[in-house]
Amino acid sequence: MDIETDALLAFIKEKLIKSRAAELTEDTPLVSSGLIDSFSLPQLLIQLEKITNSRIPTGRVSPQDFETVRRMMEVARRLGVRKA
Amino acid sequence: MMIAIRHFDSILEALDGGIQDLPFITMSHAGSSPPSTTCTFAEFLASAEAFAHLFQSHGIQRGDRIVLIMEQDVPLMASFVGAMLLGAVPTILAFPTFKIDPSKYRSGLHGVTRNIGARLVAIDAQFPEDLKAQIALTRDTEVIQTSEPPRPAPSKIKWANPSPDDVAFIQHSAGTTGLQKGVALSHAAVLNQLRHLAERLQLREEDRIVSWLPLYHDMGLIACFILPLLFRVHIVMQSPTDWVLRPASMLQLASDFRCTLCWIPNFAFQFLAQRVTDEDKAGLKLDSLRAVINCSEPVRTQSMQAFYDAYQTCGVSWTALHSSYAMAENTFAVTQTTIGESVPVRTIWADRSAFQSHSLIEARKPEDDAAVPFASSGRCLSNNSVRIVSADGSELEDGRVGEIAVHSDSMFDGYFNRPDLSEEVLKDEWYFTRDVGFILDGHVFVVGRKDDVIIIGGRNFYPQDIEEIVSRHSAIHAGRTVAFGLYSEEMGTNDLMIIAEVNDPAILVQRIEIEAEIRRSVVAEIGATPKRVHVVPPKWIIKSSAGKPARSATREKFLSENS
Repeated sequence: MDIETDALLAFIKEKLIKSRAAELTEDTPLVSSGLIDSFSLPQLLIQLEKITNSRIPTGRVSPQDFETVRRMMEVARRLGVRKA
Repeated sequence: MMIAIRHFDSILEALDGGIQDLPFITMSHAGSSPPSTTCTFAEFLASAEAFAHLFQSHGIQRGDRIVLIMEQDVPLMASFVGAMLLGAVPTILAFPTFKIDPSKYRSGLHGVTRNIGARLVAIDAQFPEDLKAQIALTRDTEVIQTSEPPRPAPSKIKWANPSPDDVAFIQHSAGTTGLQKGVALSHAAVLNQLRHLAERLQLREEDRIVSWLPLYHDMGLIACFILPLLFRVHIVMQSPTDWVLRPASMLQLASDFRCTLCWIPNFAFQFLAQRVTDEDKAGLKLDSLRAVINCSEPVRTQSMQAFYDAYQTCGVSWTALHSSYAMAENTFAVTQTTIGESVPVRTIWADRSAFQSHSLIEARKPEDDAAVPFASSGRCLSNNSVRIVSADGSELEDGRVGEIAVHSDSMFDGYFNRPDLSEEVLKDEWYFTRDVGFILDGHVFVVGRKDDVIIIGGRNFYPQDIEEIVSRHSAIHAGRTVAFGLYSEEMGTNDLMIIAEVNDPAILVQRIEIEAEIRRSVVAEIGATPKRVHVVPPKWIIKSSAGKPARSATREKFLSENS
């Protein structure tokens, strides 16, 4: 796992997870499992942008893209526009 | 210029003629090029006629019910009007999220179509493929997938000529899909509502509404689509998903398009105050907003204050912060604060113990330790009346807390095909809302619910629906579960809390797994995420004298053990 993935996992564990969850990995379903709710998505998006130093166009992503950390990192790589 | 409010016999009569070439809907498509598209009223009507032609080709006639399940965009609105042009009765259901369990979705949709006797279900090209196979319904209900845009109508569609008492459309109220109640509204009811609302809002030709509100919800449908449809006001719209991912986007649209009106639930005031970065806030000019209306949840002074504190530097003034009390059964608004008052949303402070123990509002000063604030939802619209009623049915005086009953000329005709449910809530032309509140100096204050309905982010959930889902878990003692809402100061809305008793104490070693499974099934069926799932040993939940779980006593026990 790279530093960016680690940082995102740490943020989710510390700030967003609502329950005493089992282990959190980059493939753990987050939204459909009820570990995070849609009200947490803006924080997650902002954090993803901060960690990857990019801006992600929201119209081209869906809540499903936030289902796992692996997917979020893929979205950032595919759609993120690097900030100067 | 103020809009002249005319009398019409039907919604269709209001659509015919008049100015056609002004912008009607600007739809934002974040991340696309161009970032938004605008259609004029004439273009919108042409699209509605194309849908009417499509529906006609499937045999739709006057009075037939049509269910629309499409993404939030112009085709959804055009198909809604297209159905009405034929005198058919449209209803909009929520677009499925990826979280939904396909078999539950199927049975939910089946329940709704059966209840309203739908002839047609129209889905769009974006409808998830894996769900499509699931929604084949009965022989009586056809499912069609529409292309975008549908082919233009080859000739002028003959518009229906509905009478004022004909049902115009159906809104679906609270409840799990399938158990939702269809609120049938006549043309007269809708037109009366919109006349009174436009009058109170002092609606102007140059008004512009910004909205992300879903169209299956009364606030999105009536305030942000049917009101501007009737009065030819420009709407700037985005999808709820775009808004949830980046809440600042709504404010950016309001700023870019100089919008003047918007409706949002209480939690959104707080959400916008907390979840927008300073970077996103920079450059926002929100001084054009003349009414930001708090509606769909009990109004909280703290949430309005948080929004004001966050955006006063962007030009938001106190005079622009408003509130309204509304429900699908009354078409929409019962009350609305008054435009032009220096403090439209009046806050009063009352003695906490007199309120809690005696359902009585006794004035206190804000600095008093025992004081609790209540925010007004404004005065009744014309031809709307509110009574506060005690448990024995007698009318209470000002300052007494009880159930809110509503009487108006925009009332629903009853729940579609459910006279049993209609009879429970409609008595002598008064609608008993099950909301709890009080009246003071003509202002209506809403404080909560009589039944244990949980309002989360403007959506209503029945605890019994959630408890039934939890009860299905094999480790849980059927019927020994409690769901309740707990107000979160941070979120400005309720958190969903669930308590569930296991059958056998030995299984408590698997508590974390059981909690995760319950969490997952609740999300898959109702789309709301529990804040806490608390799995407890047998006999933990407090029972009522009738042997059923007592929600409020169990809630108190949970709070005392977890404070």
